[in-house]
Amino acid sequence: MAALLRGLRAGRLLRGLSSGKTVVAAPTSTTLQCSSLRRGFHCAALRLKDESKSEKHSASSSYSSSSSSSTTHDAYTSQQDSDPSSGDQEQDEEYETEEQLQARILTAALEFVPLHGWSMEAISAGAEAVGLSSASTGMFTNGAGDLVLHFISQCNSNLTEILAEQHNQVQLGQVEPKKTADFLRDAVETRLRMYIPYMESWPQAMSILLLPHNIPDSLKHLSTMVDDIWYYAGDRSTDMNWYTKRAVLTGLYNSTELVMLQDSSPDFQDTWTFLDNRIQDVTNMAVTAKQMQLTGEAVAQGLMGAAVTLKNLTGLNQKR
Amino acid sequence: MNLAGMSLPKLPVLKDLFCNSACAYGVVPAPRDGEEKEMMHRMLRVDHAGEYGANRIYAGQMAVLGRSRTGPLIQQMWDQEKKHLSKFNEILAENRVRPTALLPLWNLSGFVLGASTALLGKEGAMACTVAVEESISEHYNSQIRALMESDPERYTELLQVIKEFRDDEMDHHDTGLEHDAESLPGYWLLKNAIQLGCKAAIYVSQRV
Repeated sequence: MAALLRGLRAGRLLRGLSSGKTVVAAPTSTTLQCSSLRRGFHCAALRLKDESKSEKHSASSSYSSSSSSSTTHDAYTSQQDSDPSSGDQEQDEEYETEEQLQARILTAALEFVPLHGWSMEAISAGAEAVGLSSASTGMFTNGAGDLVLHFISQCNSNLTEILAEQHNQVQLGQVEPKKTADFLRDAVETRLRMYIPYMESWPQAMSILLLPHNIPDSLKHLSTMVDDIWYYAGDRSTDMNWYTKRAVLTGLYNSTELVMLQDSSPDFQDTWTFLDNRIQDVTNMAVTAKQMQLTGEAVAQGLMGAAVTLKNLTGLNQKR
Repeated sequence: MNLAGMSLPKLPVLKDLFCNSACAYGVVPAPRDGEEKEMMHRMLRVDHAGEYGANRIYAGQMAVLGRSRTGPLIQQMWDQEKKHLSKFNEILAENRVRPTALLPLWNLSGFVLGASTALLGKEGAMACTVAVEESISEHYNSQIRALMESDPERYTELLQVIKEFRDDEMDHHDTGLEHDAESLPGYWLLKNAIQLGCKAAIYVSQRV
């Protein structure tokens, strides 16, 4: 009987592992993913031996699919939390870290958001779905905020993966590079489309993000996302352009998101039209800014000419 | 900003895919954790701001003394600073470091400092050079010390770059002294005032 159970578990595990996502090139998290996958294999192997941890066995098949999202989540949260990765090594023989567990529960909880909204009920349902008791929601001190922030961070990692993939294709010459305006439009559209399944409850999520204790985290996620988009769009500026470009994209993204909330057209067509128009505005603004800069330079040259004339008149311009 | 009709430049893909430890392509090793990343970014940000400021100071000096006898000398030192700045621009872009938000301030104040000290004559310009280069060298030295204390092996390339730049700045400092910086009346006052300003600038650029 025990052997049969072990066999079943092994089969489920192998199926789970073979369907797991392969390592995708995201800029800084590749080694993190590799080492966590190795840990995952190690954990899985130990779990096969350990019969007493019955509540973890249903997690083995969902572990591989959530491991890639949780590890990229770790890459993002490692900046925020001071939880040292050395803790992982000590604990990985027996169980995953608390962060990974939380990530797993929250990912499962997303299934229940259309039903329960962004709330503790959804998180409890998620905990039960991974086989834990709903009392484990006690570890989420921020409640619904944790769920929303986790979802945002997951969307950001997905976006980064997609952008990195496109970037690789451009490098390999398989695809033509896009113009910046098109690139930005596609990136913002891709990112906003991730909200479509949760569109009804999205106003609730946005209001949760506006709570004072969630604002720093949500701003951090927003700025990381905008930085990523510009990086893959080819921005390598190291002057004030760095700031202006990101400010513009943030404004673009936020306004489009707000329009999307109230959009009832088929496939959100009105939202994408709005986005196109705003990008057009920004492009025009850039052209105008360039013209103003040229005008300014011409004026400065005129002033310099006047200054040189003055210097000549006062005799300051002689070779000393 | 050039959104109008700009297409994507080719970017190195190998570094993104394979180079996660100290990479032949990059001077700065990929950070192991958030803390190290924060520290590296702060260091690079302030270095970039420093070179940018130094550039603007020399530009100011050239604007006033460009056609005098010291013109070629100042131009030569300025060219070296331009090389430093472009190196740091490269490093910042590679490592996705945010440049300091105070760049416009350093732009203006650097130019004004250079121009106003150059108005005091050649000795004034040299005194300003001496003061600034001494501050920058001291700053680079403390960074070298910090990197050596933490892990010299890991930061070899970066240490090399900073040491090379520090040596260049020391050269400028010595050149300034050779060209009668100390003969300026009020030299000590000017020097200390400028160095105080530099220290404040370094402190602020690390944080903003």
